[in-house]
This record gives sequence, structure tokens and C-alpha cells, in this order.
Amino acid sequence: MATSMSMSTSTSSGRSEKRRRRLGRLGPNLVLITAAVFFIAPLVSMTRFAFQTIPMVKLGWSTLFDRWSLKSLTEAFKEPFFWPTLALSLKLAAGTVFITLALLIPTGLYVHLRLPKARGLVEFLTVLPYVVPPIALVAGVAAFFRPNARWFLNSNYSLVPLYVVMALPFTYRSIDAGIRAIDVRTLVDASRSLGASWPATLRRVLLPNMSASIIASAFLTATVVLGEFTIARTLAKNTFPIFSFDYFGRKAQGGISLALFTLVGTTALLGFFTLVTRGKARRQVTRF
Amino acid sequence: MNTAVSEQDGGRTTGAAPGPARPRRSFAWLGLMPFLLFLFLFLLLPTYGVIRKAFIAKDHTFTWTGISDAITKERAAFSQSLKVSIVSALLGVVFGTLLAYAAATAKRPKWLRSLVSAFSGVAANMGGIVLAFAFITLLGRQGMGTKILTAAGWSPYGSDWFDLTGFWGWNVVYLYFQIPLMVLVTLPAIDGLKASWREASASLGGTAFTYWRRVGLPVLAPSLLGGFLLLFANAYSAFATAYALNTTANLVPVKIASFLQGDISGRSPMPFALATWMILIMGASMGSYLLLRKRAERWQQA
Repeated sequence: MATSMSMSTSTSSGRSEKRRRRLGRLGPNLVLITAAVFFIAPLVSMTRFAFQTIPMVKLGWSTLFDRWSLKSLTEAFKEPFFWPTLALSLKLAAGTVFITLALLIPTGLYVHLRLPKARGLVEFLTVLPYVVPPIALVAGVAAFFRPNARWFLNSNYSLVPLYVVMALPFTYRSIDAGIRAIDVRTLVDASRSLGASWPATLRRVLLPNMSASIIASAFLTATVVLGEFTIARTLAKNTFPIFSFDYFGRKAQGGISLALFTLVGTTALLGFFTLVTRGKARRQVTRF
Repeated sequence: MNTAVSEQDGGRTTGAAPGPARPRRSFAWLGLMPFLLFLFLFLLLPTYGVIRKAFIAKDHTFTWTGISDAITKERAAFSQSLKVSIVSALLGVVFGTLLAYAAATAKRPKWLRSLVSAFSGVAANMGGIVLAFAFITLLGRQGMGTKILTAAGWSPYGSDWFDLTGFWGWNVVYLYFQIPLMVLVTLPAIDGLKASWREASASLGGTAFTYWRRVGLPVLAPSLLGGFLLLFANAYSAFATAYALNTTANLVPVKIASFLQGDISGRSPMPFALATWMILIMGASMGSYLLLRKRAERWQQA
């Protein structure tokens, strides 16, 4: 009798506990749902605007599935400035990735192996671009290079070093995390004692072991460059984001479909990067 | 002495005959030269260029007028920028922390947490024209969201406090990258809250409220404050998003750009004085953020 009573009370208290927990999840679930709506809605409305040619006034349940087409995008492809600006942005992205890696991998390894006491200084220098945001950086570039090195500003590729600087806080942290995740000194010692030269050690031992963080920083750099607007606008360079913006001014629907094209393109890059580095990246957590 | 020898041994077992350590150490800084030279050319020289132009008058003398003119003549832009940065940072801190907490404590779909953190990584960097365009199609006067809200009886343009190209519009759009940035900042801190603390608080007779007031929030405080500073700096320096929403927005970054484009000769000190103020504000908030982050990390060791 006593045992059955205590059992029944314990189950009823367990049930109320469960109910309370479910009620306790109500708040968090509401937050998650609201967040999902807030973050997905702009993407949905952008897609609709780009690919459905129905004015908002006439949009309703009956016309929801009418007149969808990719025409705005294919028309944008035919614009004379589409391919040149896209090519320029892709070249800038490739150049920025190349210089970033060529500069940061040796520096990161060097600091790690030979000059650990410089680590604080290097880390400090790599967060400085946060202090000098793009709009201030480009003002400085205009102030300093316009009188002293006009040829530099005249070239489209003057954007490359500025983009390297802009992306530095992310890229250095990613490379540094990659170096920390492996035991560089042991790998170098092993490789060197087996008779490998320094370039061979770098190419066959260190780089393969850091591939996840290298790909991560390359991806980050590429997305930054493909969406960069501030510096290109102020220095009057005709990159792809600038073309998208100007095209939006002429043809709103086409401009939106180009923005969507950029978004899908960079997300595809991200998906590709996650597939390539799946598992490898798990050890290398990049902290913001 | 001992460690120095063993280090050398480890470094060059098959290398050339070990040379004296001293000279090599003094040349060791040379290895940083490419990196330092690069930063000198493309970060420090431009920064110097900005500050010089802000302080040096046409007759090459030092002057404070540019710097003080920027504050007095562009007071409206400053206050507008400060207001939007503070409001969007506060809202970002609140909603970002709530979202991070909801994602960190959710048990059921296992992928939810990693989805939220992965999406935050993307959206925190999403600013710029793509984001502005997306919101124009959603909350512009002809936007889909505007239509849905109006049909639901709550028109955003009904009363005139909301305009996508105005103050509350900027805030809503900025939240799209502010909230995810806050999620990235607080998620590790929320993970650092140990279940045993809550149990300890409960077994000492504490309610949920006591737990949050006496344990949870004090532990999270450095992350929350640090996050606020980071978000503030982030909003203050945002140019592309604001410009794409409204090319004549009275915000400091947009003003800098319009002065730069309007004055090709680069004679006016105004854009450079505004940029100098921006660098100062960024330096102060980012510096405090980094200090606070060090404090916040104290509780995050596993």
C-alpha cells in the first residue's frame, strides 16, 4: 500500500516535471521559430522578386505560382558589363587568396618555429584592420597613394593588397588555428631528419596537414572579395558588386537576381569547402 | 642554458654544423620582414595618411580645426551613427543571446545547434548590397513582408516611424548580421555555464531567478559587454549596407564616402577627420572588447 502510494506520487510528480520542462521549452522554441522567420523571409522575398514577374499589388493566393522564370538572370548575363566585371572579381579573389596564403603561411610557421615571442605582436597586428575599417582604409589609400603613387591606384589590381589587409583578421586566425592543431615542431624534425629539404617539408608534410585551415581561409577570402563594395566603389573600380548595384538602379529585378546569384555562388563555395574538409576541420576550431 | 641546447639539437639534427645561437637570434626578426613590410605599406601608411590629412592644414601647419569641424559640422551624422550603432548593438545582444541560449539548450534535433552556428558564421559576414537588396524586397514599400503585415492589420508604413531607408529600417537590416555575430560571441560562453552550478544553486534553495541573477548573468557579463562593444563597432563602420539602402543616408561612413567622391583633389580635411574619429572610436571599442574577451575566457576552459 505504502509503496504503491509513493510510486503514484513519484509518477505524478514526474509527469508534472515533464510538463514543466515542456512549458520551459516554449520560450526557446518561440525564439528559434521567430529567428528562422526573420532570417529566411528576406531570402524568400528576394527569390520571388528576382524570378516572378508579378507586381506586388497583384500578388495573391491565386497568382502565387504564375509567371515564374529565370529571364531576369539570363538577361543580366547578356549585359555587356556582366562578364568583364565578374572576371575581374574572380581574378581579384584569386589574387587575394594567393597573396594571403603566400604571406600568412610562411609568417605563421616562422612565428611558431623560430620566433614564438613575436606571436603577441603578430596577433595584435592582424586585428588592426578591425580598427581601421574599409571606409577609413580607403580614405587613407586615397590620401597617401594619390599624391605619391598614382600608377598604383590606376590599376584595378591595387584592390588586391587592400583586400588582403581587410580579410587579415579572419585569415590569420584560421591559418594560426591550423598551425596550432598540428605538432609542427615534431613534424619538421621528423621530416628534416629523414633528409627532406625545407621546401619538401613544407610541400609534403606541413601543407597537407594544414589543408583544412588553408581551404577555410581561402574560402573566407574569396567570399569577402566577391562581395566587397566599399573600397571598389570609392576607388571607382568596376567589380562585380559594383555592376550589380548599378544594374539594380537601371533594372531592379535584374539587380536583385544578380545579388541572389552572388549569394548562391558563395554559398555553393561554402558547401564545397565543407564537403572537402569534413572531419579534418573538426580539430581546428576557429574562435571569433 | 639546457633548454637552449636541446632546442638547437631538435631543430638541426641533420643540418649544418650548429653555429653560435646569438647572431641567428638577432637576425630572427628578419623573417617577419615581408609581413611587416606589407602591413606597413597597406595598413600603416594609409592610416598615417588619414591622420596626417586630418591634422595638417593647407599651409603645412598643425591644426585642430579639421578634427573639431568634423564634430560640429557633422553633428547630425555622428549622433545618427551613434544612435543606430547603440540601438542595433543592444538589440543584437539581447536577441543574439536568446538565440544562442535556445540553440545551446535545445536537445531534440541534434543538428539544430550546428545549423545555428554555421548559419551565424555566414550571416555575420553577409552585410553589403546583397543584404540591403534582400530587405528592399521584403520591407520596402512594395515589399512582400510589408504586404503580408498590412494584410494582417499591422502596416509598417501605416504610422510614419518606420522607413526602410531610415533609422528603424537600418536597425532591422543591421540585425541580420548583428544577431549572428552575437551568437558567435556568446555561444562558447553559454556552453561554459556548467549544469552543476545550476544544481548547486538549486540545492542551496535558489530559484531560477536567483541562479540567473547571482551566477548565470555575472559569468556571462564580460561576454555580453564585450559582444556589445564588438557589435557597436561593427554597426558604426558598416558602409555598404547603409549606402545600398540610402545613398544619401546621414551616417558617418556614408558621409566619408560622399566627401571623398565629391572632392577629387582631396583638399578638404573633412573625410579624413571623420575617418580619424572613426579609427579612434573603433580603437577604443575593439580594445575594450579584446580585454573583456580575455576575462570571459576564464570560464570557458573545459
